[in-house]
Amino acid sequence: MRVARTVLVRVAWVVPVALGVVTVTFFVSRVLSGDPSELFMPSDADQRLRDQIRASMGLDDSLPVQYWTFLVDLAHGDLGTSFTTGQPVTTDLAGRLPATLELGLVGVLIGLAAGIPLGVLAAIRRDRWTDFLIRGVTVGGMALPSFWLGLILILVFSVTLDLLPGPVGRLPIGTPEPDRVTGFLLVDSLLAGEPGLFGQACLHLVLPAVTLGVLILAPVARVTRTAMVEALQSDYVRTAVAMGAGPARVWFRYALRNALLPVVTTSGGVIGFAFSGAVLIEAVFGWPGVGQYALEAISRADYPALQGFVMYAALLYVLVYLAVDLLYLVVDPRTRS
Amino acid sequence: MTLLDKQPSTVEAAPAPVGAGPRPARRRGGGSLSLRVGLALLGLYLLAAAASAVWTPYDPREVGAGEPYSPPDGSHWFGTDRLGTDVFSQVLAATRLDLGITVAAVALALTVGAFLGTVAGYYRGVADGVIMRTLEVLQAFPTLLLAMLIVQAVGPGTWNVIAVLAFVGLPEYLRLARAEILSKRGWQFAEAARLAGCRPWRVAFGHLLPNSTGPLLAYTSINAAWVVLVTSSLGFLGVGIRPGEPEWGSMISRGQSGITSGEWWISLFPGLAVLGLAAAFYLLGDGLNDAADPRRRR
Repeated sequence: MRVARTVLVRVAWVVPVALGVVTVTFFVSRVLSGDPSELFMPSDADQRLRDQIRASMGLDDSLPVQYWTFLVDLAHGDLGTSFTTGQPVTTDLAGRLPATLELGLVGVLIGLAAGIPLGVLAAIRRDRWTDFLIRGVTVGGMALPSFWLGLILILVFSVTLDLLPGPVGRLPIGTPEPDRVTGFLLVDSLLAGEPGLFGQACLHLVLPAVTLGVLILAPVARVTRTAMVEALQSDYVRTAVAMGAGPARVWFRYALRNALLPVVTTSGGVIGFAFSGAVLIEAVFGWPGVGQYALEAISRADYPALQGFVMYAALLYVLVYLAVDLLYLVVDPRTRS
Repeated sequence: MTLLDKQPSTVEAAPAPVGAGPRPARRRGGGSLSLRVGLALLGLYLLAAAASAVWTPYDPREVGAGEPYSPPDGSHWFGTDRLGTDVFSQVLAATRLDLGITVAAVALALTVGAFLGTVAGYYRGVADGVIMRTLEVLQAFPTLLLAMLIVQAVGPGTWNVIAVLAFVGLPEYLRLARAEILSKRGWQFAEAARLAGCRPWRVAFGHLLPNSTGPLLAYTSINAAWVVLVTSSLGFLGVGIRPGEPEWGSMISRGQSGITSGEWWISLFPGLAVLGLAAAFYLLGDGLNDAADPRRRR
């Protein structure tokens, strides 16, 4: 019963936070420099035409009225129409989301698959050269500017070695996308029965996904190492060793299981980061995801688009952390009281 | 800041936990390897920043200091860019701006965060509720985007960038200060101060806060690394930093097209500069954490 109540309170808490996020976004984006209606004005527009255009964009109402309209629309699942693309923001986002999710998913997989073993290895070999090497790599990974790492990878693997395609997006320029089923090119190309296209999509995904993976690997390996070191020094591990448990059993069955809690939290953070569009990585690789969409929206004062993106990202974070908290309840009995 | 400087040694005086066993003597004194490497690197950057104020090989803004797009050689160590400006001089000059923004933003975030966190932790009640709920909303935003959004709203300029970076980095300081104060407000020294007739604000800011500086100061270094990275990201995206200002991120952005056309040096070197400074702060933060938490000391 107590667990149910905790869960319920935690879930209910999402609502006011989401409302706060929406409100802050609305008002901050209104004070963005630049008038979005300028984009649509013919240069010789007279005052009447200006007023007409502003009215058609809903910009002539007072702020409270605009805010109210926005909330009502939102309650109906309507995020408004983008000033730049002229399409509903929900359509825009839905069209771009698969690109971000595909990149994010592969990046997260690379990051976790490399980060957790590295962290465990560093903890087991603590204070030996393996540990120092791994710690050096993780500090380096955290200190790397992601956009620069992307550029350097392009320089090495695309320009110099000519192994992988350059920063042109998800497919070679001019290649038509396969029929859209899921939006994931890796899936759709196979569904369409085009293995060649699948290969191309894979090749184009490698560099951005590795860049994202390195970015994720570093904090994950670090947290894993710290938690693992702590676990290996604990009384229960000492007891297990004293009772004659072999190293593998101690490391993986006792220590790692207890060390995974902080790793779960960190993973939640990086998943939120990766799925909300690693803005800089998308920008460097010309990746047509939601991150680029948000960048353009900011520079063009496209309020509806920006609001739509921030809503998506914030909600994603809230849900990911909710999932982390709930996962904690499952994994760690101590948090249930 | 004076409040926080008062007792820098409290963290080191913490006793080793009972039963922790003997420690290898070789690591006593001098701090951990991370601490030493971090300090050395940071010293190098400080030196570069100071030196660049009086001397750089060429004027970092001088157009045509060499042939445009000349690769690194003896006279231009890091080569020249599109306008023939010396890249090495620009990287040096940018140290002042990037390091300056970082130090200022961290100091501002630390001061304001410690103040608000102390208020929230000591007085609790309404102030605490309002502050913490606001934090929760702010932390739901992707940080880089939030920074971009506010910089766009307040307009470009170094001081605006500093204020925004401090604002975005503030929540963690607030949380740390609040947690420390909450856990210590019932301790005997706080009780003694109250019994001696100190007013609440004096107990909070004169007694509790100075005894809570360890985690806050250790975090400044981690925060500094983050500020270095975000500053260069903003520069790369062309937000906030005025165009033409020597800044590492904007230099990388200016060299971006050179990556595919063969002029790799314009982006490479400023990126290395960012990497080095951020790494220095992370290492320093690791070292400070080890020193602050005896259980982590090796």
